[in-house]
Amino acid sequence: MSLESRITDYESRFTFDVYLVGVGGQGVLTIGEIVAETARRQRVPVNFYPTKGMAQRGGFVKAQIRLGREVTGANIPQRGADLVIAMEVSESLKAVRFIKPGGDFLLFGHVWPPAAVMLGKADYPTLDQVMEQVQEAGGKMHYLAPESLPLYEGNPVAANVFVLGAAIGHTRLGDVLDPLEVAHVVQTRWKRGVERNLLAFQKGLEMRG
Amino acid sequence: MRKNPPIPQIRVLTGNEAVALGALRAGVKVVTGYPGTPSTGALTSLLKIEPEGVHVEWSTNEKVAFEIAAGAAWAGQRALCTMKMSGLNVAYDSLISIAYSGCVGGLVIYVADDPGVSAGMAEQDSRGFALMSDLPMLEPASVAEAYRLVQVAFDLSERVGTPVFVRLVTGIAQSKAVVEVEEPVPPPEREAKLTRDITKFTKAGSVICMAQHRDLIARLEKAGQIIGEMGLNELQLAEKAGGLGIIASGVTASYLEEGFEIAAQFGFKRDAVSVLRVVATNPFPAAEVQTLLRYCDTILMLEELEPHIERGIYVEAHRLGFEGRIIGKLDGFFSRIGEYGVSQVVRGIGAALGEETRFFRKNPVSGAAEQLAAARPITVCAGCPHRGTFMAINQAIRKVGYKKDEVMVTGDIGCTILGMNPPFHTVWTEVSMGASLGIAQGYVHGGVETPVIATIGDSTFFHAGMPGLVNAIQHQVPLTLIIMDNGWTAMTGMQVNPGTDEPFQQIGGRRVDIAKIIPALGVEHFFTIDPFDLDESSATIQKALTLPGVKVVLARQECAIQAQRRGLKAGKVKVIPENCNLCKLCIIRTGCPAISIGEDTIIIDPNLCYGCGLCAQVCNREAIERVGESASQRGGE
Repeated sequence: MSLESRITDYESRFTFDVYLVGVGGQGVLTIGEIVAETARRQRVPVNFYPTKGMAQRGGFVKAQIRLGREVTGANIPQRGADLVIAMEVSESLKAVRFIKPGGDFLLFGHVWPPAAVMLGKADYPTLDQVMEQVQEAGGKMHYLAPESLPLYEGNPVAANVFVLGAAIGHTRLGDVLDPLEVAHVVQTRWKRGVERNLLAFQKGLEMRG
Repeated sequence: MRKNPPIPQIRVLTGNEAVALGALRAGVKVVTGYPGTPSTGALTSLLKIEPEGVHVEWSTNEKVAFEIAAGAAWAGQRALCTMKMSGLNVAYDSLISIAYSGCVGGLVIYVADDPGVSAGMAEQDSRGFALMSDLPMLEPASVAEAYRLVQVAFDLSERVGTPVFVRLVTGIAQSKAVVEVEEPVPPPEREAKLTRDITKFTKAGSVICMAQHRDLIARLEKAGQIIGEMGLNELQLAEKAGGLGIIASGVTASYLEEGFEIAAQFGFKRDAVSVLRVVATNPFPAAEVQTLLRYCDTILMLEELEPHIERGIYVEAHRLGFEGRIIGKLDGFFSRIGEYGVSQVVRGIGAALGEETRFFRKNPVSGAAEQLAAARPITVCAGCPHRGTFMAINQAIRKVGYKKDEVMVTGDIGCTILGMNPPFHTVWTEVSMGASLGIAQGYVHGGVETPVIATIGDSTFFHAGMPGLVNAIQHQVPLTLIIMDNGWTAMTGMQVNPGTDEPFQQIGGRRVDIAKIIPALGVEHFFTIDPFDLDESSATIQKALTLPGVKVVLARQECAIQAQRRGLKAGKVKVIPENCNLCKLCIIRTGCPAISIGEDTIIIDPNLCYGCGLCAQVCNREAIERVGESASQRGGE
């Protein structure tokens, strides 16, 4: 699909809502920043609403991206998200109420256990439980195993850029945002590690299959 | 030759940044504030820009901030003051007085409310303050509108001679959206005015005060006329009279179109509905509401939190003999709690059409998924010095011979409140800035015979903690105050406060050292501890708990996040795997996010670890070793 036809789509009131969840420190909000910046470059109306708790790291983080509406409230209604991107298994459950029936649910299967779980004092949900909940809500699950994170010079790349690539490659977000434009934003966002980040993005894109 | 007019820039801004840039465009000269989520970003962005000729500062508290802004506006300049809703409570004492006096230059108060409580504290509706002080209030429904309305607020303020509120909610203040930004305007060259007029600038006696009260009411009325002439509140009447009229206040208007689209699937006709979008929520938009009441037979009122406008509608309805239905909060349909979204629009329309059930979703969202999620209580960061202080307090209480639930530890606002959570469970209360001290004294007078401890952070101490301490000293109330001084206003994103080390103060600014204040107040038992030295800290607190009178313990280490941004570490630790038996004591005691459990040993993430060494100090199997010396603690001047 060409960029022009995509813009035309927006003129005919095409909207796309993305609900992002994860844990502080995973770069969840950076995904949102990149999507918002790409949307601005493509002249797609965008509202990006990050919400982080009080903790710098290790707390629940969510963000909402609303594409295609000139005037929009920040909050996506329940069962309204065309796409959920979840970066942590347990936290993904907090996004289930927002997935639109038939919407894409992209889960990066990282497990970040809270202290109480490490100490054996609290339960942590199984992947099967999450899959079941997403299915019940009518979401279309796309699962990315943490082991699928590619290596660059022997070290794992940034998970968030990889997951963003997968979202563009795997889900309908790729029909909304031009992969080349997203790659451009990824490339210009950081001064250092350009090659590493592009590799992360590209490998994510190629997960399509 | 004339230059071409500059082309507006298309930028992605937060609502906070839009407020800041709008003020710059309006030629603001003085900007003050105190950090508080969700309002912080406005002043932060101005500090980054460092606009020429504009004074920007984080003040000690909101009351001081507002007084500075008002003084500048009395001197004829344009001034902006920023705060979260809780800060407005602090500023209000001066605000009501300054409202009576009015202003000369434009004076705008930016306040951000947090319906839905994304950042903690009360679901306070600051519109009530506008009502109480008879000041106009503008409420943008989008980031782009925030940019425009701040400029309108300055103009309105100057035309009427009254301070004007701009109120955002979290969803706008922290959203990023595309805004067309025009060139900032340098502050206009205005000579500072020195006007001696005690009838305007003092409150000496009933004659002056009642005349000011009369003028205040007249100014609000005039503001209402100007708002009406400007058409700020947009009224669109349907072609045919007799249908539904929707009144949408502030942010709720941003959900209307989406709601109409959903309702259209149920046969709702967009062009059969009249809409009044209330942007200026004070004064009450009486003329527009009357028009709507005359035109429609049902009213749907959309406003978050308190039914302020709705009450006004009932008054107008009574005057006009309106007999139709008013759907809102006062009939019990909507809740006063939480954010509004598209669902309120859809449900409200459904109710208005008498088809509520058809508009409700058939299968309500169960919420079962969230219940499976692991609880993730927020804790302090890896390397946070407060961790050591909480651990030391707990250890000291135990060593003095008390159980944890026998010793009251009052808490305060900021990162120091995280001591309420696991694994520490140290702090019992959270009220408002500085309240740890007053509440602690109340417990003592209330007859508590075990030691009473108050805890507070550095910025909070300066903000409103000092009067509480002075009171404790004056009345010689036996308590132990623990000031956790990490040198920054950390929780809101690392703002400079009076105690921040001098190199980080604004040029020409000066550090105010807490270690000098406490002895100067006449505190006899004053101790300084390094919270990364657990046994020493614990022993000091233990000693303080057994002494009479007011004791102050100053726990000093810089915020680890800030120190690491400058490449500093407190030290280094390493795990000796063969000594680790996975007893998990390090996790149980510290709850440090850098520690996780490996196959045969605990693992410390070297990227997260700051090297504070607290885990090594609690390990009783020598499985964690400190490598090298720990960094020196923050000293005095």
